[in-house]
Amino acid sequence: MIKDVIVTQNISKTYGKPPLQVYALRETNLRIKQGDYIAIIGPSGSGKSTLMNLLGCLDKPTDGNILIEDMDVSTLNENKLAQIRREKIGFIFQKYNLIPTLNALENVELAMGFAGVDTKTRTERAKQLLEMVDLTKRITHKPSEMSGGEQQRVAIARALANNPSIILADEPTGNVDSKSGDNIMRILEDVNKKGETIIVVTHNMAIAQRAKRILRIQDGEVREEHA
Amino acid sequence: MLKDHVKLAVKNLRHRMSRSLLTLLGIAIGIMAIISLMALGEGMQQAVTGELSSLSDVIIVSTGGDIMSSFGGGGGGSTSEYFTERDIADIERIQGVKDVSTQLSGSALAEYNGKATIVALTGMDIEVMRLQYASQSLHAGAFLNDGDQNKIMIGYGIAHDTFDADIPVGGRIKFNGEKFFVTGIFGKQGMGGVSSDSIVLMSTRDFKALTGQNNMSMVYLRVFNVNDAESIALNIEEAINENHGRKDFATATTMTSILETVQTILTLVQLVLIAIASIALVVASIGIMNTMMTSVMERTREIGIMKAIGATNKDIMSIFIIEGMLVSTIGGIFGIIMGVFGSQALSLILSSFFSSMSGTQLVPIITLMSVVLAVAVSLIVGVLSSLYPAWKAARMSPIEAVRYE
Repeated sequence: MIKDVIVTQNISKTYGKPPLQVYALRETNLRIKQGDYIAIIGPSGSGKSTLMNLLGCLDKPTDGNILIEDMDVSTLNENKLAQIRREKIGFIFQKYNLIPTLNALENVELAMGFAGVDTKTRTERAKQLLEMVDLTKRITHKPSEMSGGEQQRVAIARALANNPSIILADEPTGNVDSKSGDNIMRILEDVNKKGETIIVVTHNMAIAQRAKRILRIQDGEVREEHA
Repeated sequence: MLKDHVKLAVKNLRHRMSRSLLTLLGIAIGIMAIISLMALGEGMQQAVTGELSSLSDVIIVSTGGDIMSSFGGGGGGSTSEYFTERDIADIERIQGVKDVSTQLSGSALAEYNGKATIVALTGMDIEVMRLQYASQSLHAGAFLNDGDQNKIMIGYGIAHDTFDADIPVGGRIKFNGEKFFVTGIFGKQGMGGVSSDSIVLMSTRDFKALTGQNNMSMVYLRVFNVNDAESIALNIEEAINENHGRKDFATATTMTSILETVQTILTLVQLVLIAIASIALVVASIGIMNTMMTSVMERTREIGIMKAIGATNKDIMSIFIIEGMLVSTIGGIFGIIMGVFGSQALSLILSSFFSSMSGTQLVPIITLMSVVLAVAVSLIVGVLSSLYPAWKAARMSPIEAVRYE
């Protein structure tokens, strides 16, 4: 049986206090299995980012529980959440979000550094990952010396650095041209084929159509769409 | 992990090189001020202490109040009470006293170049004179020698401001009609009641011959054993006070007690100097804090990313504090180097300013203590001034930080 990577139980996220309470997300129940490839779509302001932040342990739900690999993370303190983030989750952002003072190799190594991986192992693995995203020749380049597509590939390598259970990609192709975007999606799909769970937030239906499951969010409510 | 934090901090500092250097300069100047002022203070302390401790077997007995008001200055001309021959005999009789000499005070009508005025005269043994005025620089000429007759030393004011014409070395002044020759002129002392500018010094013998007076305003004596000085001083006070039937007639001051007083004053001066230098350091530390705050603001997004990829609050704090410490420590080291040169320069400037006032050269002394203090202070300044920015960085919410444009 394939195990669940993420299970959400009636999670809600509200801002403000009644009667001015605003629901960003309403009683959402999700079950994401290992190896899933999910696209989350919806108009802006629909709660996509809120859901991403909750799944990525950047934020805590107001109500309900989130289980990541059977561990309830909704009650953990900040340090524990940081640990979950570095061990179980890999983030890919629309704007790449690499550290500008570090080169490609160092950016990938940084995530492993926070996880306490020793220097030698770190460098070896970072080089492997950069080779996988086809950036062997760019390892000493700083983000400002790379194209958007290249930067996003570094970000993918960084997201994979600590062997996470889930990759959360927020509009990963939003800032690159369609050719680079296709390249990025293919890399993510390759990773998915190796058993990694991928969750992609996107506006782009063409990108969403490539996923195995599509979740549509509207006004804080999540519905499963046929993929 | 710490190594990674240091590496990140170094990269950040290098990324903003000019800003880092300017912040660093602020600390360097603060530390330089502390190091050089401490070095000067220490130099001053040692110079004065060295000079005074060579006189440590001397006891000075004066009439009335505190010795400090008349020591080194005008020769006690202001006092109207004098010691008697019996007092001197009593002092000589006290066990442990090696030799005794007196300082005589009086006045005479001085005449030079047709102008006449009353001046205060001081008569003392040449040997004592040399001891007492050893620290005073000479403007011109030389000290009196043993056996000199009808020769005098005069203050700068007597030489230049008292008569219509300046008096040169070798100049001839008439006191009560008797001719005296100037052998030496003291350097200018400037303001204050302890000035020797208006002094006229002559030997005891000349003084007695000239004035016929024997007004002993001060007694200088030396003891055989420095360790007995304090008890001998007490005995002297007791004996003289008994002679005059008053409890406060005489004050006997040992060099040791003067030394202590002077050291207390110098320590105070040093503290004031350090306090002044500390202001520079406080300003520099605000500079660090300011730079760090800006840096935190600029790197809001970066902080968010680091948190998203698993950095704990501790990691973030550590990175920023290390940055602050790096800036301040490197600044501190530069400050120490600058302080070494700065203190030399300061002492040169001060020496040229006051060379007319005192023959002593002010040599700055940099102690290990002050260097250790400077390093410690710069480390502490680094930590303290980056603490708040680091804390602010650490408690940033990763979501907002990542979204920050």
